[in-house]
Amino acid sequence: MDSAREVSDGRLTVEGFSVASRAFADKWKIHNQSFPPWSWVPLINRTLLVSKKQEEGYLSLEKIIILSSLEEEIPEDESLNVATDCLEKEETVDHTILVPTMENEAHYYDFHIVYSASYKVPVLYFRGYCSGGEPLALDVIKKDVPSCSVSLLLESKWTFITQEEHPYLNRPWFKLHPCGTEDWIKLLSQSSSSSGCQMPIVLYLVSWFSVVGQVVGLRIPLEMLN
Amino acid sequence: MAEKETPPIILQFAPLNSSVDEGFWHSFSSLKLDKLGIDDSPISITGFSGPCSHPQVSNHLTLLSESLPLEEESLIGTTSHGNRNKCPVPGILYNTNTVESFNKLDKQSLLKAEAKKIWEDIQSGKALEDSSVLSRFLVISFADLKKWSFRYWFAFPALVLDPPVSLIELKPASEYFSSEEAESVSAACNDWRDSDLTTDVPFFLVSVSSDSKASIRHLKDWEACQGDHQKLLFGFYDPCHLPSNPGWPLRNYLALIRSRWNLETVWFFCYRESRGFADLNLSLVGQASVTLSSGESAETVPNSVGWELNKGKRVPRSISLANSMDPTRLAVSAVDLNLKLMRWRALPSLNLNVLSSVKCLLLGAGTLGCQVARTLMGWGIRNITFVDYGKVAMSNPVRQSLYTFEDCVGRGEFKAVAAVKSLKQIFPAMETSGVVMAIPMPGHPISSQEEDSVLGDCKRLSDLIESHDAVFLLTDTRESRWLPSLLCANANKIAINAALGFDSYMVMRHGAGPTSLSDDMQNLDINKTNTQRLGCYFCNDVVAPQDSMTDRTLDQQCTVTRPGLAPIAGALAVELLVGVLQHPHGINAKGDNSSLSNTGNNDDSPLGILPHQIRGSVSQFSQITLLGQASNSCTACSETVSFSF
Repeated sequence: MDSAREVSDGRLTVEGFSVASRAFADKWKIHNQSFPPWSWVPLINRTLLVSKKQEEGYLSLEKIIILSSLEEEIPEDESLNVATDCLEKEETVDHTILVPTMENEAHYYDFHIVYSASYKVPVLYFRGYCSGGEPLALDVIKKDVPSCSVSLLLESKWTFITQEEHPYLNRPWFKLHPCGTEDWIKLLSQSSSSSGCQMPIVLYLVSWFSVVGQVVGLRIPLEMLN
Repeated sequence: MAEKETPPIILQFAPLNSSVDEGFWHSFSSLKLDKLGIDDSPISITGFSGPCSHPQVSNHLTLLSESLPLEEESLIGTTSHGNRNKCPVPGILYNTNTVESFNKLDKQSLLKAEAKKIWEDIQSGKALEDSSVLSRFLVISFADLKKWSFRYWFAFPALVLDPPVSLIELKPASEYFSSEEAESVSAACNDWRDSDLTTDVPFFLVSVSSDSKASIRHLKDWEACQGDHQKLLFGFYDPCHLPSNPGWPLRNYLALIRSRWNLETVWFFCYRESRGFADLNLSLVGQASVTLSSGESAETVPNSVGWELNKGKRVPRSISLANSMDPTRLAVSAVDLNLKLMRWRALPSLNLNVLSSVKCLLLGAGTLGCQVARTLMGWGIRNITFVDYGKVAMSNPVRQSLYTFEDCVGRGEFKAVAAVKSLKQIFPAMETSGVVMAIPMPGHPISSQEEDSVLGDCKRLSDLIESHDAVFLLTDTRESRWLPSLLCANANKIAINAALGFDSYMVMRHGAGPTSLSDDMQNLDINKTNTQRLGCYFCNDVVAPQDSMTDRTLDQQCTVTRPGLAPIAGALAVELLVGVLQHPHGINAKGDNSSLSNTGNNDDSPLGILPHQIRGSVSQFSQITLLGQASNSCTACSETVSFSF
C-alpha cells in the first residue's frame, strides 16, 4: 500500500489528513503548552462496511476561555420574574452559600479541524458562546480573537468566514471557506522548500494552521514548523 | 481567666453554575418533536463536569447533546466513560408543555425528591460505589418550539448540615504539603486523571505516607486506608476557582463523610487543574469541623437547598436560539451566503443590496412568468408580484414551472394565487403577492357596462407599476403589452419585455421614459446616440431595425412554442434586468452591441455588456443583440402620447 509522504498539489487525501492531524496534535502538545491539547474525534460509520481500516475523524480543541471585558447587554426578560414568588417563601435562607461577586463574562471557544472531501483540504470550523450557551455573533468573536498579523495570506482574497452547517453536528458554525487553501498551501511549500511544491504530509497541518490559526488569534510557536 | 472564644467561621461554599450547550436544545427539540410529543414525564439525563481548569473561571455543570438518552445513530463516537473533562453526573429533567405549568411546578417538592435520592444513596452505600450520585441535579424547563426559545432552571440539591460546618483553616495545597509530598500528590493525581478507569471518578481519598509518598484511592477503600498513612484527605474535583472557598460538591461530600464515618474533623482536598495537569497552587486543602450526628434516624432526610440563581436573582434562565434553529432563518442565511460567495469569488463589485430591495412586477404568470420568477429568486430578489387573469389549466404544469398537477384539479387555481403559493414553498422568506386581473388592451371593444371596471383596472395597473421598480411584460399578446409600456414609460420604470415565436424569442429592455430627459439633455443634439433614449416594443414595428435578418412575426397570439424557448427567454430577461440594476446609469444605460464591444470587462458593468435587445432562434441555435432608438412617433413611449396621457 503506497502512502505518499509528500503532497505536491496542495491537497490531502483522507488518510493523509489523518496522519497530518496526529502529527499536528503531537507537536502542539509538546511545543504549545499554553493551550490544552487537540483531541481526535473519530467518526463511526455504521452503515458502510469498509475493507481497509480507514479512520475518519476530526481534530477538536474546545472550551478555550477568553475573558471578555465587554459589558454584556443582554436585555432582561421580565417574564422570568413570575416564577420567583413561590420560591421566596419556602426556601430557608442558607448562610453557607457564598454570594459571588459579579465577575467578567467568560467567552468559550471551540475549534474543529475537519477534512473536506470535496476540496480535499482541511477546514477550520469555530464557534463562540457564553456560559449560558448563547452563541456569540461574529463581530463579538472578532473582538475577542483579533487576527494576529497582516500578511498577504490574510487579505480578504484568501480568508472568507462563512456560517454553515457543521458537517457532523448539524448546527451552524463559522468556518474559513476552503476555496483558496489549495493555492496558498502550494505558495507556502514553494517558499519553504527547494524542491518545488513538495509539502511533507506530517507538516501539512502545521503549515496550514500557521496561516489559518492567525485569523482566529491562535498562534503556533515557530518550533512546531521544524 | 476566661479565654476569648473566637466564633467559628462558617464554611461557605461557592455555588455551582450550569452551562447548557446549544446542542442540548437542538437534540431535545428533536426528541420532543419526533418522539415525546406532549408527554411530559421526567427524563433521566446526564450532566458533565470536571475540575476547575482556569484560575479565573469556575467550571460548570454542562449539558450537551449527548446528555439526553441516545436514540438515533450519530456519526460521532459516543462519549463513554473515560473522558477526563466530561465526568458524568446523573440528573433529571422535567419539561413542561406550557409556560404556565412551568411556573406552577412545585419546586420545593421536586428538590426534596432529588435530595432524598442523594440521602438514600449515602445511607445505602451506593455513593461509595459510584460517587457521582452525590452531585445529582435537577432541571425544570419549558421549550417553546415555535419561537425556539427555552426557559430552564437548575437545582443542585445540597443536604444542609445543622449546625453548619465550620472552617478551621483553608490554604493552597502547595502550602499545606511539603515539596516532596506535593510532587508525589501531583503525580498521583495526574495518574488518576490519565487513566480511563478513574479519570471520571470525582470523589477520592488522598493518602500520604510518612515517607511522603502519596496514593489516590477509591472512597470504598476507606477502611483499608486506616493506619496506612500520615495524612488522609478527602479529595474531590472542585469546579470552583476561588482561593478562599471550596466548591459546591463538598456539601454532599461532607454529609456523606459524617453519615458513614462520623468524623469530627475532616481534611479535604479541592482538586483543581490548569492546562490539563494538577495545579497545587490553585488546589486547596482545608480542615473542617463537623458536628457529630446525634443519632438522628437515617430516615430523616435533611433539608436541602440548591436552586441556581440567575445573576443573583431567584429567577429561571432563558435562551433564544431562533437564529440557529428556525428553519426559515437558516434558509435565508444560506441563500444570502450563496450570493455573497459569488461576489467574493467572482464579482467583487456586485451590489447585492439593490437586488434584495428591488420590487418586481410580473405581468403574466405563464411559461415566461414562471421562468422569470424562478431566475429572479436565484439572484436573491425577494419581492415579486404576479398579475394574471387565468387559471392553471391541465396543459400548464409541464411548461409553467411553478405549477403542479394539484393546481389544475377541480376548477383550477388562479395562476396569480398558485404562483405565490409556489414561491413561498420554494423559499419561505419571499415577499410575494398575486393580483387576478386582466390587462386592458387596445383594439378590443368594451361594452358600456364593463367600462367602469376596465377603467378601474387601468388605474389599478397604473398603481401597481408605480409601486414597483421593474416590470416584466410577459403576456401572450402584443396588444396587452401596449398599456403597460405606456405606463412604464410615463413613470420611468424599468420595463423588460420578452416575447416568443414558435422557435424564436425576443427579449428587450425599454428605454427610459420621455419625461426622464432633463432639460439639459433635451438641449443636446439628438443625433448623438448616447443621449438618445432606447426604444420600446412599439417604437419600431416588430421587424429588427438594424438587421436584415428576417423574423417570423412575434405578435401573433402564440400558444405553441418550442418548450426550450421560455426558459431561455425568461433567463435572459432576468439577466438583462440584473445588468440594468448593476449599471451605474440604470435605466438610462446605453445599449451595447455584442459585435461592437471589447472583449475585456466593461468598466461600467462588471457583468459584461448590456444590450438593448436580444433576439434568438432555436432553429439556428443563434442569438444576436440589437440596438434600437426611441421613435418620436411611437404609440407607447413617445413624448406626444405620454403627454396626452
